[in-house]
Amino acid sequence: MPKPRIDRATSAHVLRRVGFGAPREAVDAATERGLDATLEELFARRAGHAAPEAVQRDLDAALATQDLVKLQARWMALILDDAAPLVERVTLMWHGHFATSDAKLGRVRLMHRQNQLFREQGLGDFRALLHAVAKDPAMLLWLDGNQNKVGRPNENFAREVMELFALGVNGGYTEGDIKEAARAFSGWSVEGSEYAFHAEEHDRGEKTLFGRGGVFTGEEALERVLAHPACPRWVARRLLTTFCVPDPTAAQCEEWGRVLVEREWRIDATLERLLRSDLFLGPLARRSRIAGPVELVANVALSLRAKVAPIDAMRAAAIMGQVLFMPPSVKGWDGGRTWIHPGTWLARHNHLMELILAGDAFDARRAYGADLDQAHVVERVGATLLPDGLDDTLRAVLEDTAKRAGSPVGAARDATALLLTAPEFHLY
Amino acid sequence: MTRHSTDSNDPRGPRPLTRRTVLVDGARLSLLLPLLPELALGSAQREDAAGAPVLVVVQLSGGNDGLNTVVPWRQDEYRKQRRLIGLPAQDLHRFDDDFGLHPSLPGLSGLAADGLMALVHGVGTPRPDRSHFRSLEIWHTSEPDKPVGSVGWLGNLADQLARKHPGSLPALAVGGRELVLSMRGAEVLPATLPDDRGFTLSRVSQRLAEHRDFILGHPKHDGAPKSDLEFLRQAARTSYSAAERMQKIVATKSPVVYPDRPLARDLRLVARLIAGGFGTRIFHASLGGFDTHASQASVHAALLSDLDGALTAFQRDLVASGVADQVITLVFSEFGRRVRENGSRGTDHGHGGPVFVLGPQVAPGGHGAHPDLAHPVDGDIPSTTDFRGVYRRLERDWMGLEPFARAEIDAPPFLR
Repeated sequence: MPKPRIDRATSAHVLRRVGFGAPREAVDAATERGLDATLEELFARRAGHAAPEAVQRDLDAALATQDLVKLQARWMALILDDAAPLVERVTLMWHGHFATSDAKLGRVRLMHRQNQLFREQGLGDFRALLHAVAKDPAMLLWLDGNQNKVGRPNENFAREVMELFALGVNGGYTEGDIKEAARAFSGWSVEGSEYAFHAEEHDRGEKTLFGRGGVFTGEEALERVLAHPACPRWVARRLLTTFCVPDPTAAQCEEWGRVLVEREWRIDATLERLLRSDLFLGPLARRSRIAGPVELVANVALSLRAKVAPIDAMRAAAIMGQVLFMPPSVKGWDGGRTWIHPGTWLARHNHLMELILAGDAFDARRAYGADLDQAHVVERVGATLLPDGLDDTLRAVLEDTAKRAGSPVGAARDATALLLTAPEFHLY
Repeated sequence: MTRHSTDSNDPRGPRPLTRRTVLVDGARLSLLLPLLPELALGSAQREDAAGAPVLVVVQLSGGNDGLNTVVPWRQDEYRKQRRLIGLPAQDLHRFDDDFGLHPSLPGLSGLAADGLMALVHGVGTPRPDRSHFRSLEIWHTSEPDKPVGSVGWLGNLADQLARKHPGSLPALAVGGRELVLSMRGAEVLPATLPDDRGFTLSRVSQRLAEHRDFILGHPKHDGAPKSDLEFLRQAARTSYSAAERMQKIVATKSPVVYPDRPLARDLRLVARLIAGGFGTRIFHASLGGFDTHASQASVHAALLSDLDGALTAFQRDLVASGVADQVITLVFSEFGRRVRENGSRGTDHGHGGPVFVLGPQVAPGGHGAHPDLAHPVDGDIPSTTDFRGVYRRLERDWMGLEPFARAEIDAPPFLR
C-alpha cells in the first residue's frame, strides 16, 4: 500500500480551509488518497455546479419578493450543500474583499447579481474580476459611483479601489491619484439595474495618475491600477489571510504576488500552487486564526453531519456577528479577535449547545458511526472535531465526561458539547 | 397648551429652576485634577465604583421631523409652510415660552417641567447630506469629511474605558442584531443584546458546566492574552460570568411600569443594568420608522408616543432607583425634515434638528439658536450647532474621556 503523503490532521486542515469541513470518513478518505488527489477533487467540484432544486426555488422566491433573508438563507444552503466548497469559499472571500452591504442598497436582486459575479469569476483572472466589479451595479450604488460627474466628482469608488480593493492602505498612491482616478470614473452610472455610461457626464480632460499624464477612461485607469506594483502583493495578501495565516509578512505577499502574475492573475492557478506550499501545509497555518461565524457554523454542520436548516445556520452566524450581504463597512469584516466578545461568544455557545443537546439535528451515530462504543467515544469525537490532537487537559476532561454518561450515544453527545465550547475548537 | 399651563393660548414663562444638590462626579473632577492633585485618588476610585458616569444614546432612525417634535408655534413661517400637517398651538405640551412639544409628548413635557430635560435646537452636520445611510455614517463616526470610517464615536469611548478596565464590558447595544457603527471601537466591539432578556445562556447540565469551567481555567493567565487561544479562554470566562451576573440583574423588578413596547423594553433593561451595578458605561438603543414622506401625522404621533412612554418611564425609573445622577441620555436623529410639507401630507429629508438630553445633570431648558425658518437655503433650514460640539460636551465634560473628533467645536452648555 502506498504511504499516505499527508497525515490525517493535514488532510482535515485542507478540507476545512479550502472548503468548510468534512465528516470523519471523508477526512480518512482524503488522507488515504493523498494531497494531490484531494486537491484535484476539490477543484473539480465546481464545473457546472447546479444548486439543488430546493435551493433554486428559494432563490426564485427571494428575488420575486426582494426578501434578503431568503437570499441569505439560500447562500448558506449552497455552503452547507458542499457541492462546490472552493467556489463558495472564494465567493465569501470576495464578498469580504469587495464588501458591499444591502443595508445601504436595499436591492436584493443587485446583491444577488454581485454574489453570482463572485461565484462565476472569483476563481478566474483577477484583472477581469476587478473590471467587472467596477461596473457592478451594486458596487456603483454602494460607493456612489453613479453620483460621480464631471465637475462634481465623487471620489468614493476611486478611493476604495486603491485603499481596499487593489493596492492597500500603504500602496504608494497619493490623494491626488484618487482625485484623478475619480475623474476617469466620472459618467459611470446605473440605469434601472444595469451599468450605463453617461458620456456627457464623463470628464474628458487631461489627467495624471501615478505620475503619468494622458486623457484616459475609467477602464484605462483600472489598467493602470492593475499595473501598479502594489497590486499583486495586495491580492496575494487576501489569498494568504484567507487560506494560510492571519498576518502574512511583506516578503510572503511579495512572493505570492509574483506567483499570481506568473499565473496570468488566475486565482485558481495561484491556489493550485499555494495549497501545495509549506506556507499552507506547514505548522504556521494550522489552527492559526479564529473561526468566523459562517465558517464555524458550516464547519460544525459538515463535520458532524448535523441537519441544520440553512436559515437557522444563517441566523446563528448573524447573531455571532456575520450577516451575509451586510458587512459592517466597505472594509468588510475585520475578523480575528474582533469576532469575539461576550455577546458573540454566548451566541456561539447557545447555537452549539442547542444543536447538540436539543432537537434532532445532531445524531451521534450519524456523526461518529453506527459501531460507536463507549471505549472509542473520545477518540472519535477528537478525530472529528480536533484532528490535530487533544492536549492532556482536554483528553482527561472528555474521558471523565464520557465515563459518567449512561450510554455511548450520551457520552458522545456530552463530549461533543464540551469540545465545541472549548476555545481550542474556535481556532480554525 | 394642555399641560403645565393654565391658559392654552398663552404659555407662561419657564418655571424657576429648583435648587438641586451639587453633585461631584468622577468625570468633572478629573477635569480639575491639575488644580486639585489631592483629589486625584478619590476621582480614580469613583471611576471604578458604582456611580461612574453613564451615557445612554437613543437613535431615532429615518430622520425625525424636528419641527413637529419641538414646535416653533410662535413663528408665522411654521404655519405658512405647514398648512396641512402643522400642529395647532392649543394641542401642544409646554416646553418653554417659544416652543411646544408634540401632543404625543406629555411625559417629556413633565420631565422638562421637573428640570430633567434639556434640548439643543438645530443640531446638524456641517454640510447636509440627504442620504440616510451617509448622514448616519457622519453622526456615527463624527467625521463629516472623509466618507469611510469604521470606528464610531461611542466605540472610541468604549476603547478608552476598556484600556482603563481590561476585561470589563464598557458598552452594550440593546435591541437589533447588527452593531451600529457608532458603537464600533478600534479595539472593542461592544456586545449587542438582541432583546430585553439580556445575555441568555442555553442550559447545560451542572456537570458539563463544571467540566467546561475546568477547561477554560487550565492553564489560567490573567494578563493580556498573548495567543489567540488564551484570548478565547479569557473571553469565554468573561462571557459566562457576565451572563450569570446579567441574568440575576434582569430578574430584578422595576420600580415603575413601562409600556409594553420595544424601545421601552430595551430601556427597562438598561435601567436594570445601571441600577444593578452591572458596570457598563455606554448604552445604545434605537427606534426606527421616522422616514415620514407621506401621511405623516398618525405615524409620527405613534412613534413619538413610543418615545415618550419609553423615555419617561426610563427617567422615572432611574430616579426611583437612586441612580439618575450618574446617567445622561442623548436622543438624536440623522437629520430633520424640510420646513415645507410635501404634496403627500408628509415631509422630505431636511437637515438638522433638536436633540434631547435627559437627566438631573443637564441644564434644563432650550439651548442654542433655533434655525431661522424665514430664510431657508435651498428650501432647507441651516443647522445652528455642529453635532460634534454636542458630542464633545458628552465625551469630555460628562464622561471625562477624549473626544473622537479632533476639531475643537463648541456647543451651547447644556450640562450643569
